[in-house]
Amino acid sequence: MASKQKNVTPEQQKYQQLQQKHEKQRPVLKNCIRAFFVGGLICVIGQAISYFYIYFFNFTEQNVGNPTVATMVFLSMILTGFGVYDRLGQFAGAGSAVPVTGFGNAVISAAIEHRTEGFVLGVGGNMFKLAGSVLLFGVFAAFVVALIRTLLSMWGVL
Amino acid sequence: MLNIYRAIIFMSCLFLLTACGVNQQTKDSQLTLMKTTNPTPFVTDHHKSNKLVKQIEKDVSSFPPIYDVAVVKGKKDTLVVYKVKHLHRFKMKKIEKDVTAKLEKKYPKENFTVSSDYKIFLETVRLNEKMQSKDISEKDAEKRFKEIVKLTKDMK
Repeated sequence: MASKQKNVTPEQQKYQQLQQKHEKQRPVLKNCIRAFFVGGLICVIGQAISYFYIYFFNFTEQNVGNPTVATMVFLSMILTGFGVYDRLGQFAGAGSAVPVTGFGNAVISAAIEHRTEGFVLGVGGNMFKLAGSVLLFGVFAAFVVALIRTLLSMWGVL
Repeated sequence: MLNIYRAIIFMSCLFLLTACGVNQQTKDSQLTLMKTTNPTPFVTDHHKSNKLVKQIEKDVSSFPPIYDVAVVKGKKDTLVVYKVKHLHRFKMKKIEKDVTAKLEKKYPKENFTVSSDYKIFLETVRLNEKMQSKDISEKDAEKRFKEIVKLTKDMK
């Protein structure tokens, strides 16, 4: 970093100062508040859906997570298709990307983006471009944790 | 201007939809996941006294992390369901272990099924309501009770 700064010419330094002067400050606090409320709202909707499954179907608290996640991902996919989730994403940032609904958005937006390239090489090949790494990481992390747990229970620690 | 019209239409719909529900009596089971209901402990067999189940409810309620307890006694099993306060939910397994140990020590003849699952709690409250309004026969109540116990065992 220091060596880079030494190589900067006086003109470049001047330009950097000018750029810093006119650079718009990121509204970090405002973004955090927006993300907090929108993310919280998505979680409230998820909680309401899980109560709905507990009330009207034979799901227990332990297995209600599966249909709830499926429903939330499906809803976000539909909303992405209609272009609503993109606007929400622009407004809330991480608040809409971090919950599981962000996963549905990542899959569908990549599919829409590459649909002109064809169904197989375009949609099929690029659908999991963003979400694929999340899936792989999840599966691999679950495998490692399960392996550790199995070893610990074999040794009698757990 | 368009936004104001939208807000007015939304508020009108909201008021119209919620106004009808004001004077309706709500059953405990409708709100059981959101508020404390403390259902009366009961026995599926009408001829048996419910003294024992009341005592069991008192014992379980004496645990500080627990706040809503439902106890049902069938022919063979006794089902104990409770809710755990939010900050204590990290220690759910330990609480379940402690409750089971205490009950088995105090009532060695009983066969306990202990759960803190909301679904089991809801079904217990629903069964209790049916028993109180006599909408269900003793035989059907015992059958439903066995189904609830089976649901608890399926989770483990």
